[in-house]
Amino acid sequence: MNKPKISFRNVWKVFGPTPEHIIETVKPETAVSDILAKTGHVVAVRDVSFDVYEGEVFCVMGLSGSGKSTLVRCLSRLIEPTAGKIIVNGDNVVEMSEEELRDLRRHKMSMVFQRFGLFSHRRVIENIAYGLEIQGVEREERIKHSYEILEKVGLHGWDQHYPHELSGGMQQRVGLARALAVDPEILLCDEPFSALDPLIRRDMQNELLRLQRDLQKTMVFITHDFLEALKLGDRIAIMKDGEVVQIGTPEDIVANPINDYVHEFTKDVPRVKVLTARTVMKPVTHKEELIGRAVAIDTTLEKLIPLTADTDDAILVMDGEDNVIGEVNRKRVMMALATIQKKEV
Amino acid sequence: MAATRQPSPAKQITPVRIILIAALLLFLYHNLIHNLGVFPEEWNLGLREPLDMFKKWVIVANRDGHWMFALFFQPLKGSIDFFMRRIEDFMYWLPWTVIIAFVFFLANKIGDLKLALLTAFSLLMMGLLGLWDESMRTLALMVTSVIIALAIGLPLGVWAAHNDRVETMLRPVLDAMQTMPAFVYLIPVVLFFGIARVPSVIATIIYAIPPVVRLTNLGIRRVSEESIEAARSFGSTPRQIMLKVQIPQAMPSIMTGVNQTIMMALSIVVIAALIGGGGLGDVVLKSLRRLQVGSALEAGLAIVFMAVLLDRLSFAFSQIEHVSVKKHQGFRLLPRKWGGKSWAKAIERPITWVYAMSGRLEKKVVHLFSRLLPKQDENINSAGYFITMALGLLLLLGISFALSWVEFPENWDLSLSKPVDTAVKWAQVNLYQIGDTFIGTGPFSDFVSLYMLRPLRLLLLEWLAWPIIILLISALAWKAANWKLAVYSALSMLFIGWLGLWEASMDTLSQVLVAVLISVLIGVPLGVWSARNDSAEQFLRPILDFLQTIPTFVYLVPVIMLFNLGRVPGIMASVMYAIAPTVRLTNLGIRQVDEAAVEASVSFGATTWQTLRNVQLPLSLPSIMMGVNQTIMMVLAMVIIAGLVGAAGLGFSVIDAMQNNKMGASIEAGLAIVLMAIVLDRITQSWAQKQADAANIT
Repeated sequence: MNKPKISFRNVWKVFGPTPEHIIETVKPETAVSDILAKTGHVVAVRDVSFDVYEGEVFCVMGLSGSGKSTLVRCLSRLIEPTAGKIIVNGDNVVEMSEEELRDLRRHKMSMVFQRFGLFSHRRVIENIAYGLEIQGVEREERIKHSYEILEKVGLHGWDQHYPHELSGGMQQRVGLARALAVDPEILLCDEPFSALDPLIRRDMQNELLRLQRDLQKTMVFITHDFLEALKLGDRIAIMKDGEVVQIGTPEDIVANPINDYVHEFTKDVPRVKVLTARTVMKPVTHKEELIGRAVAIDTTLEKLIPLTADTDDAILVMDGEDNVIGEVNRKRVMMALATIQKKEV
Repeated sequence: MAATRQPSPAKQITPVRIILIAALLLFLYHNLIHNLGVFPEEWNLGLREPLDMFKKWVIVANRDGHWMFALFFQPLKGSIDFFMRRIEDFMYWLPWTVIIAFVFFLANKIGDLKLALLTAFSLLMMGLLGLWDESMRTLALMVTSVIIALAIGLPLGVWAAHNDRVETMLRPVLDAMQTMPAFVYLIPVVLFFGIARVPSVIATIIYAIPPVVRLTNLGIRRVSEESIEAARSFGSTPRQIMLKVQIPQAMPSIMTGVNQTIMMALSIVVIAALIGGGGLGDVVLKSLRRLQVGSALEAGLAIVFMAVLLDRLSFAFSQIEHVSVKKHQGFRLLPRKWGGKSWAKAIERPITWVYAMSGRLEKKVVHLFSRLLPKQDENINSAGYFITMALGLLLLLGISFALSWVEFPENWDLSLSKPVDTAVKWAQVNLYQIGDTFIGTGPFSDFVSLYMLRPLRLLLLEWLAWPIIILLISALAWKAANWKLAVYSALSMLFIGWLGLWEASMDTLSQVLVAVLISVLIGVPLGVWSARNDSAEQFLRPILDFLQTIPTFVYLVPVIMLFNLGRVPGIMASVMYAIAPTVRLTNLGIRQVDEAAVEASVSFGATTWQTLRNVQLPLSLPSIMMGVNQTIMMVLAMVIIAGLVGAAGLGFSVIDAMQNNKMGASIEAGLAIVLMAIVLDRITQSWAQKQADAANIT
């Protein structure tokens, strides 16, 4: 978990006639809308830096126009970033030659698209095999491998159909299968479930989580749905006007929104399901009283409430190695539930 | 209409009004005081002499081996000739049985059994009309021209799709090429290559190339951004994106372009008989010249069958459906409505049985062959089918040669010509005037000549002297568009005068106007009718499709049967050929009028007629105008053809000069037609555009 797989360093994307000039001259406090009004340049991504670690699901969440889709396209250079470095496996993507880049796209990362981006003239199985075909894998082998992936995403029996004959959810399964077929190290998902209706979306989210448990891919997942980000993301970056406003675990962000903008998103979140003992615990006060009931550190409030409801005693919180690292009581649980933002520690 | 009128004071001085007043003053001067006379002859540019000189130079240079001819024109001519002869020889060598079987099985695979039967029937009819060899000759000309046109057009379209600059350069050229009447291409080609089949092929290629370029470009550009992005995200090279994503996705559009290219090629291949193209067109032409209507009709029918065959077959290619399981529909001979009737069942049942059995047999055979193929593949069915088909055809080839079924049997002849000739004689005697009434082709023809053509010609040639007409046309152009178009139109008209063709042009213009008027008078009501009545639309659609499929040339046959020679048969042929777009676009325009506007009108208690006149027609005017624009262009395309049946004017000048080997005069007349076509096209198109803008319809 600790090795950065992808690192963004001061990445910019500016659309307009003289983008480099804008980056040099613009002051940090100038709003994006003012830059557009004064210079006619659209700043889509603005000085973004963060790391994505191996095997984690990193969600980039933001409203439309926040630059999240542009950001993910910069990562595989479907859109050329204007400035900055993007390090993948230690190599700077921005400086790669056309050939190195093609190699990266063919073997290291693949992408799932919002409107699926399937090839309507190819059967499902040929869609899935596309990436392998581009790599130059023999027909027989790539089709055989594609059938394995087809099974994995639950599309048994649909191999010979054309995409338009499938429902939206199933089409995106094809999109996902096509991306997984090349066995990439990195999976980029650009709002893959946004075009689906809510029930199908939930199914697909669960499906993705199930797949991720087996595959352990590094995933960059773009969404405009905060709840989706909470559900899928190991960590979340919230973007606004091309900038990253806050990065943290779902719990971090719900418990400590950095400003009103982020707070707005957290309002409707079912806190009992997101917050855990980690957030509500305090350091152990009486070292000698290390007895009594104990819970694991990632116990959600939902489970803590019945435990604390009938007792005034503190409940111990333990980490993975059975060390006591804090305690919670009814008061702290209630406080955390009461959407009070400032945590007194 | 009201929407375009500015709420300006009535007596505002606009340039258009000044021009109109000037025209009025000139009109009074011309008719009351002093006749302005005809277009001054001394202004004649005398273009024909240098052109004739050039023609002579070409002949000499050709003979003497001038480098341009030795290195460019001759080799080009030679290679096309070689290519065409090989194809022609091959088609003559192939027994007729094999050709029909090939088309049948091909049509069955890409379409259905119905299409297969239709195409096979069409080919069989060509033979039964006694025109198998001529048909194959025309087909060879077609195959050669279309293959070359596609070999140039497809890459050009792909290039245009990938390069904006190429597209912007190509677009006006393609637009201009599509405005020109087919015949115009024959003239310069004849200048360089002389009269024979190769120039026909070259003219055909040039004329037929625009649709495939246009639709290849369009199809590729319309491929969704996301599938291209997806392809890029997997590391596809630009070449892979093009071959694996863009071209396959654009295939329906490309094939539509190919279909249009084929149909345009056919229309000119037939006309190319005039410059020695040979084949079916030649039969029509010779028969028309000898007034042998019967054999002209036979050849005309063969051309119609050829058109239907090529159109339906290439159309089927454009209907590529990506479906996993093809729905197997039963074969139906009779309309579905009759299905309940017992006698209909009695007819349908054996057909259905044969259909099902043949389907099962096909599957069995294909399956048998597919096991011989090395790899299991989803394309197995197609591959199996074509291998089976190839083997079957080879077998048939052997049988045909063994039994010497090579040439189409001569005694299988419907010989329509004699009965048709009799019928025509009868029609000319009996339909000319039925009893003492005014019904009949004679009175109709007289009416059109006496009350429409003659007064119009008088108006254009005598009451309005040439300067007045130029002023009026430029005023029209200004009103429709802007001063630029006005100046352009005025100059174009002047140029026609300078060519010494003012009188012929006005003659042509009067015929064009009458033909357009008749087309609108018949076409708009038909369009309204089909917009208001679904079964009327269903009834008219195949007829209109059919009218648009037939090459222009063929229309001369029926009109000459009824109207003999002169301007009127030319006009009637033009109306038949050109009416379809007016009907179609009137129908479309009215059907696209906002439902709410119609409901609002009805809710105010408007009668059907009031709703039609005050709401539907005004709102569909832009669409109707587009239809009229297309009709005008098609009438103009027919002008030269009409010259063949003796319709005086520019068309006749072209034909006459060409047949007397006066290259210069022929080019002059052709140029005048092009100028007139461009002026009329730009004016009507800008007008339609203006209406559309005013009505806020794009």
